[in-house]
Amino acid sequence: MADSQNTVLSAHGLSVEYADDSPTLADINIDLKAGEIVGLTGGSGSGKSTLAYALLALTRHSARITGGRVEFGNRDLLALSDIELEQIRGRDIALIVQNPRSALHPMYQVGQQISRVYQTHGGSRGAMAQQRAIEMLRLVGINDPERRADAFVHELSGGMAQRVLIALALSTNPKILIADEPTSGLDVTVQAQFLDTMWETSRKTGTAMMLVTQEPGILANYCDRVIELDAGRVIKDVSASEFVYGSILQSTDSPVSDQNACQVGEPLVMVEGLRKTFPLRGTKKVVQAVDDVSLSLFKGESVGLVGESGSGKSTVGRCLLKLLESDAGKITFDGQDLTDATGESLRQLRRRIQIVQQDPYDSFDPRWTIEQSLRDPIEIHNIVPIADAKTAIEDSLNRVSVELSTLARRPKDVSAGVLQRIAIARALLTKPDFLVLDEPTSMLAPQGRHIILDVLKQLRTDLDLSYLLISHDLTSVASACDRVVVMYLGQVVEVGPTSDIFSKPAHPYTKALIGAHLEESPQTRRVDKSDRLDLEGEIPSPIDLPVGCYLATRCLQAKGACHTERQELEKLNSHHDVRCMRASEIELDEAS
Amino acid sequence: MIWRFTLRRLAVGFVQLSVLVIAVFFLIRLLPADPVARFIGMNASPEAYALAEQSLGLDLPVTSQFGIFLLGDGDEGDGLIGGDLGTSWVTGSSVNQEIRQFLPVTLELITLSFLVAVGLGVPIGVFGAVNPGGAADKGTLIYGLFAGSQPEFSWGIIFIFIFFVILGVAPGPLGRLSPLTDPPDFVTGAITIDALLAGRVDIFLEALWYLSLPILTLSFVLSGPIIKMVRENVAQTMNADFMFYGQAAGLPRNVLARDALRAAFAPALTLIGILFGFMIGGAVLIESIFSISGLGQYAIRSILAFDYPAIQGVVLTISALTLLIYLAIDVCQALLDPRVSV
Repeated sequence: MADSQNTVLSAHGLSVEYADDSPTLADINIDLKAGEIVGLTGGSGSGKSTLAYALLALTRHSARITGGRVEFGNRDLLALSDIELEQIRGRDIALIVQNPRSALHPMYQVGQQISRVYQTHGGSRGAMAQQRAIEMLRLVGINDPERRADAFVHELSGGMAQRVLIALALSTNPKILIADEPTSGLDVTVQAQFLDTMWETSRKTGTAMMLVTQEPGILANYCDRVIELDAGRVIKDVSASEFVYGSILQSTDSPVSDQNACQVGEPLVMVEGLRKTFPLRGTKKVVQAVDDVSLSLFKGESVGLVGESGSGKSTVGRCLLKLLESDAGKITFDGQDLTDATGESLRQLRRRIQIVQQDPYDSFDPRWTIEQSLRDPIEIHNIVPIADAKTAIEDSLNRVSVELSTLARRPKDVSAGVLQRIAIARALLTKPDFLVLDEPTSMLAPQGRHIILDVLKQLRTDLDLSYLLISHDLTSVASACDRVVVMYLGQVVEVGPTSDIFSKPAHPYTKALIGAHLEESPQTRRVDKSDRLDLEGEIPSPIDLPVGCYLATRCLQAKGACHTERQELEKLNSHHDVRCMRASEIELDEAS
Repeated sequence: MIWRFTLRRLAVGFVQLSVLVIAVFFLIRLLPADPVARFIGMNASPEAYALAEQSLGLDLPVTSQFGIFLLGDGDEGDGLIGGDLGTSWVTGSSVNQEIRQFLPVTLELITLSFLVAVGLGVPIGVFGAVNPGGAADKGTLIYGLFAGSQPEFSWGIIFIFIFFVILGVAPGPLGRLSPLTDPPDFVTGAITIDALLAGRVDIFLEALWYLSLPILTLSFVLSGPIIKMVRENVAQTMNADFMFYGQAAGLPRNVLARDALRAAFAPALTLIGILFGFMIGGAVLIESIFSISGLGQYAIRSILAFDYPAIQGVVLTISALTLLIYLAIDVCQALLDPRVSV
C-alpha cells in the first residue's frame, strides 16, 4: 500500500488494571497504519478486548487505564476531556462489538440509532439522516432496508444485527474501525458474507481496521498483520503470512484416513423418514424443524452432521436419544426399534446412547463437585459396584486427559474446554456404543477445540466408539469424521464420504458452506478468489417454507423448476447422495 | 394493536370482577354473623327482629338476594347491572353516593403522596446509581431500610409526636381542613381541586398544610422501595452493553442519560403501579390516625357494622380500580418498550 507508512493510531506503554490491582494490560506498544487491517489475537483472558476498548480510551466494569498514551493525529486520547473524546469516538474511531443485539438499544428503531450517531457527528438531520441510515443498511447487504430501518433489535437475527452495527459504525466514514470479535455467534456463511463486506468497505474507503478474533482462519484470510497477546503483553507483531505459518507448525491435524473401511453388516443406527415439527404458540402454524431425514451409521464409524443454525441438526440429535418424540419416521438402534421403546427397555437403550451438549456449564449441576456429577450415571445404571466407582471415574478421566485433581472442584472453577472433556468422560462411564455430540466445540477457543477432536479420534481407536458429531464448524468435521451429512432447513441435502464432500461437493449449499469456510492459509485467501459460490441473504424462516427447493431463494444457480418442484435425495454414486435436480447440470456448466 | 390489547384486557377484567362479585356476595353471607341483631340491638322482640330481617331482605333465600343485588327489586334501585350498589343498611343512603364521597379523599391523599415519593425517589435513585458507593448511595440504602423498618401508622404517630406535639410546626391530626373552615362546594370530592375550582387559593393552601403530615408519612414509607428499585434499574442499565456502545459511538452525555432512563423506567413503573393499587385499600390506618374519612375508613365502618351492601361496594370499587391501574401500567409499558408484545 502506498501510504502504509502513515501511522493513524498508536499506543505507547499502555497499561490497564482491574480494581483488584491485577494487571490486565502491561506496557502495550502497538500501531495501526492507514488502510491496514490488523488482527489482534490471543487466548481468552489475554486482554484483547480490553486493549481494543482502551484504544478508544474506554474501559468496562471496574477496569481503569493506569498509564501510557494512545496517540491519534498528534493528540493523546487519554489526556482529552470527555467532551473532546465524544467528538472523536464514533466519528474518527468507530467500534463494532460482539453481541450486537445487546449493543443496540432495545427501545429505539435501528434506523433511528444509526441516524442519531450520524447526526451527532455532524451529519445532516431529519429525513436526510434517515436516508443515510437506509443507504448504509443497503451498503452492508440488508435486503429491504427501508423496512428494516423501522425494526427493533429484537426483531433482527444476530447476523442482521451485526450488519446494523457495522452500518452504524461506518455511517460517519471513520478513519479507524475497531471490531471486537464481530462474527462470534454467526453462522459460517453469514460470517463470510459479513467479513467480505467489511473487508471490501475498508478497502474502498481506506479505513484502517483492527480486527479482534481468535479464529486463525479469519486472521489468514482478512488481515495484513497480526498482533498476538498473552497475559496482557504483546508476544508477536508479525505479518499475517508469517503468523499463520507459525501456528500451522504447532498444531498438525491428521484427518481420518480409513474411510468407508467400517461400513460392513447392519448399521448400528438407522433413521428413516424422520420428521419433527413444533407447534407455534397461538397459531395453527408449525415450525418444521426436521423434514424427512434418513441416515445410517455403522459400528465404529463417525459421521458429521453439518448445517447452519436453524437447519435442524440438534433436533435430529435429540430425536436419536428420544429426548424429543419424533412426529413420523423410524429410528433403529442395533436392530431394536427406538421409536416404540418405553420404560426399562428405553432405559437400557439410553445407557448405550449418550449425548454431549454444547454448553458444558449447562450440563453440570453447578453445586455438585465433578466427582458427584460423575458418580451419578454409575449409580443410576449400576455399571460397576459402588466400591469400584472411583476407579471407573479415574479411568474415564484419563481417557480424556483430565487431571484427577479436578474431581474435587465445582464446574465454575473448571475451564470450558476441560469441562467439555469431563462431559465426554461422563458420557463414557455408561460404556455406550454410540455418542451424539451436539456442537461440542462451538463454545471453545481454537486450542480447546483441537484437544477435544484429538480426544474423540483417540476414543474411536481405543473403544471402537461410533459417534455423530453435530457441528457448524467444517474443520472439526473434516478432521474427526468418516462421512458427512449436510442439512439445510430440516432436510438432508448431501451425504457422502468426508473426502468427497470436501473435494467435490455437488449441492450448491454444500459448495457455499465450504466456500465460506476460512482456510488457515494466507495463500488461499477467500477475498482473492473471484469465483466464489456465495448464497444470498439468510436462512428462510422454517415456518413458511419455500414450495420447491428450500435453497432456491438463496441459490444463484436456481432456475424455474427449482422454485416449484420439491427436490428428492438422489444417488450420485454408490455412497454419495445429493438433493438437487440440477447437481449434474451445474457441474457441466462449471466444467465448460 | 394497543386497542385490541386494551379491549381484551377489559374483557378479562370484566370476567374477573364478575367472579369477585359472586365470591364476595356469598362469602360474607357465610360469615357466622348476625347483621339483623347488630341492626336492631340484642334485646329486640322476635317480631321486631322478623320485621327488620324482612326490611333488609335477609328473609329471602340467598339466591333471590343475589338476584335482587344484581338486577334490583323493581321499585328501588337498578341492581348492579344498572350500576347501583344498593343502599347502606346503616345510613340508609345510597352506597354509590357514599363511595363517591369517600373515594376521592383517599385518591387525593395517595396521589399526592406518590407525587412526592416519585418526585424525590427517582432523582435520589438515579443519583445513587450514578455515584455508586458514595455517601448519598449509602445514605439512601440506610434510609430505605430505616423507612421500611416500621409500618406506616407507627411512623404517622412518631411524626405527629415530633412535628405537632414537640416542635409545633405541623397541624394536628384533624382531617383535611381546620374544623373551623367551611369546605368548598363538593365537585370532585378532592378538596384541593375543589378549592381551586371555587377560586379559593387560601383553602387550597390550608388543605395542603393539613395534608402535609399524612403525605409525609406515606411518601416516607413509599419512597424506600421506589428509590431502591430505580437505583437498581439505573445501575443495571448503566452497565448494559448498549450504554457502553453508545459511549463508544460518541453519543453525548445527555442522550445517553435519556437512553438509560428510558430503559430503567419501565420496571420501576410496574412497582409504582402495584404500590398504588395496594394503597387504595391500604392507606386505612393513616386515614384513621389523621382523621381523614376516606375509603378505608368507610370500609372499616361497614365491616364492623355488617353493612353488606357497603362492603360489597367497597370491595368492587377497589378491585375495579386496581384492575384499571394494572391495565394502564401494561399499556404504558407497551408504549415505552416495543419488546412487550400486546
